[in-house]
Amino acid sequence: MTATATRPQDATPSASGGKRAPKRERQGAAWVFLSPWVLGAAALTLLPMAVSLYLSFTDYDMFDAPRWIGFRNYTQMFTEDPRYWRSVITTLTYVVIAVPLQLLLALAVAIALKSVRRGKGFYRSAFYAPSLLGASMSIALVWRAIFNDGGSVDNLLSGMGIDIGGWINRPGWAIMSVALLTIWQFGAPMVIFLAGLQQIPAELYEAAAVDGASWWRQFRSITIPMLSPVLFFNLVLQMIQAFQVFTPAFAVSAGKGGPADSTLVYTLYLYDRGFTASHMGYASAMAWVLLLAIGVVTAVLFRTSRAWVFYANDNNEGGR
Amino acid sequence: MLILGGTLTGCGGDGGGGSGGKVGLRFTWWGNPDRAARTEQAIKLFEKRHPDIDISTSFAGFDTYKAKLATQAAGGDAPDVMQLDYRQIDQYATSGILLDLGEHPQLRTSEIDKGLLATGVVDGKQYALPVARGTETMAYDATLWRKAGVPPPTPGWTWDDWADAMRRLAASKATEGRTGSTDPGQSEDIFEIWLRSQGKSLYTEGERLGFTADDLTRYWEWCTELRKEGAVSRAEQTTQMDGTVENTPLGRLTTVSDFNWDAPTSGYAAIVGEGLKLAPLPVGDDGTPGQYFKPSMFFGASAKTEHPEEAARFIDFLLNDKEAGAILGASRGIPANDTIRQDVLPKLEGFDQVISTYQEQFEGRLKDPPPAPPKGDTSLQGTFSRDYDQVSYERMSPREAAEDYITEAKAELRQ
Repeated sequence: MTATATRPQDATPSASGGKRAPKRERQGAAWVFLSPWVLGAAALTLLPMAVSLYLSFTDYDMFDAPRWIGFRNYTQMFTEDPRYWRSVITTLTYVVIAVPLQLLLALAVAIALKSVRRGKGFYRSAFYAPSLLGASMSIALVWRAIFNDGGSVDNLLSGMGIDIGGWINRPGWAIMSVALLTIWQFGAPMVIFLAGLQQIPAELYEAAAVDGASWWRQFRSITIPMLSPVLFFNLVLQMIQAFQVFTPAFAVSAGKGGPADSTLVYTLYLYDRGFTASHMGYASAMAWVLLLAIGVVTAVLFRTSRAWVFYANDNNEGGR
Repeated sequence: MLILGGTLTGCGGDGGGGSGGKVGLRFTWWGNPDRAARTEQAIKLFEKRHPDIDISTSFAGFDTYKAKLATQAAGGDAPDVMQLDYRQIDQYATSGILLDLGEHPQLRTSEIDKGLLATGVVDGKQYALPVARGTETMAYDATLWRKAGVPPPTPGWTWDDWADAMRRLAASKATEGRTGSTDPGQSEDIFEIWLRSQGKSLYTEGERLGFTADDLTRYWEWCTELRKEGAVSRAEQTTQMDGTVENTPLGRLTTVSDFNWDAPTSGYAAIVGEGLKLAPLPVGDDGTPGQYFKPSMFFGASAKTEHPEEAARFIDFLLNDKEAGAILGASRGIPANDTIRQDVLPKLEGFDQVISTYQEQFEGRLKDPPPAPPKGDTSLQGTFSRDYDQVSYERMSPREAAEDYITEAKAELRQ
């Protein structure tokens, strides 16, 4: 952190202006101001993480003292637990469905809202509202009611002659209702897209229009490249969140991950092992594998980003 | 930092001692709104008699409660007084979480049924006290049953008689497309009764599994046959069960009958109405009864409570006080207290009366309950219904699911 913060100064010595206190003193003041955060992070994040890393190498049922078993939890997870792999596949399915659809919807709405002239604030708030509500348990429970047998969506479909008997009671459909709940909360990426869209210089579009470029051509050759850093940011953020999905799956399946394990996402299985079956050691090991997996996927995304993310500044810097 | 620390200490003192010398007790239990309303009423009475004690409560559904209590107990923050399940006693007592209630004379045990009292003893100490006893029952809509022209259930009917009745109920026009019963395949409790009626058991005395994959396969194949014939509920109906009466197939009015413990069946009465009746569970072909009287739940106190005497006095009130007994009725099952069972309960009205009469017919006729389930069994009930979910959605054959269950059960029991 300190490294990145100081680099601009080192790199541009000419940019200095006015007198500054000696570096050491400034750092001391910084630590004082940071102390509430540092103490909180150490006590509430780093310490529990260290404990959970230790527990992941033990057999711990929350009642008797943890017993060291080495990598036993990890080998069991990868070689002896078919439910673990079912939960991995369920989570991947969910990520692959929910993230792209959510981003597409967010982008579409952002583009539509960009050209709205009257009541801009109202529409933005209205589309953002689900993101504020959606994370709560109560909305997830309402979702369960809507998609249950006899719920409004089920009745509507039955009225059209499609009798499913409740989405949440059919394997295959249940995970869709969980994904829909996530997609519906597209507010946060939408707001970021809107900000990104407004950053694109209007001259580019004007010039393209003069050259007779179609809307699609403008979208493909101006909007997408100019927006790609924002798109990348949203993709990484939403993907990390999607891997950790818990509340909607928990609520829609009443905590069980059913029917037939079809909504048993990774974190829900982790919860099941830790708190229902009292295998805290195993659950801790699962948490660390998830952390590593998210790290790897994020790293891969960053690697690919070089090929498709276009930073306008890269070109401009030399010109300035 | 110093100021902050001081405030925290101040808060801690207040929470424990209470302002104005009031003693605060935390009491948690699992149950439904009916049980909650009656418990609150009883607590009000207790607080009126003991103005110096203030009781704060919370309750949840069983699964949630179980997970939360385990977390609290592990963190050394167990509530002062807690409701416990038969399956929890052994673990909680041996891990030093429970108070030895035998050392507190405020808590009288002379009127508690001797056989039940013993179920709360671990290593010679009375760590928990049985609240009530329960037994399984078949709750059914007698009006519909009669309309369908099916002979009413009789004591001593066999599993075949039961299956025939379910087929006829489902086939009858009078039941308007309802199935006969909830699919019993998802319930470990019913499987246990089915096993016992054949002279077997879930666990042996040596804490090992008392049945084989063959037994379980046979049971699930039988359930699957009934499900495919439409005699019992479809997978989509069965999977909606979450431990509440409202979300059972009978509670959603898609079957004519349900198996359940007797205490919660008052919930069906509110949905089905006047016609709701209780029938005994089927017996084995040679007449061996499978159902048994089980301590339905216990009360225990935390070993770390700051007020053991008040906690003991409160448990004594819930178990032994006649007025409290009249308020609580059969909301936790038929009371373990002999006096309350014989004097107070028969005077009650409504569904408490029905449950009381239902249990009377078994007096002295059931076999001994099985020993307390071994450590490690806690999560197996969930495993059972989850494995059957795979069967009812036709993702596994009964044989595959049974093998899966046996493997997981052996791992959990460390065998």
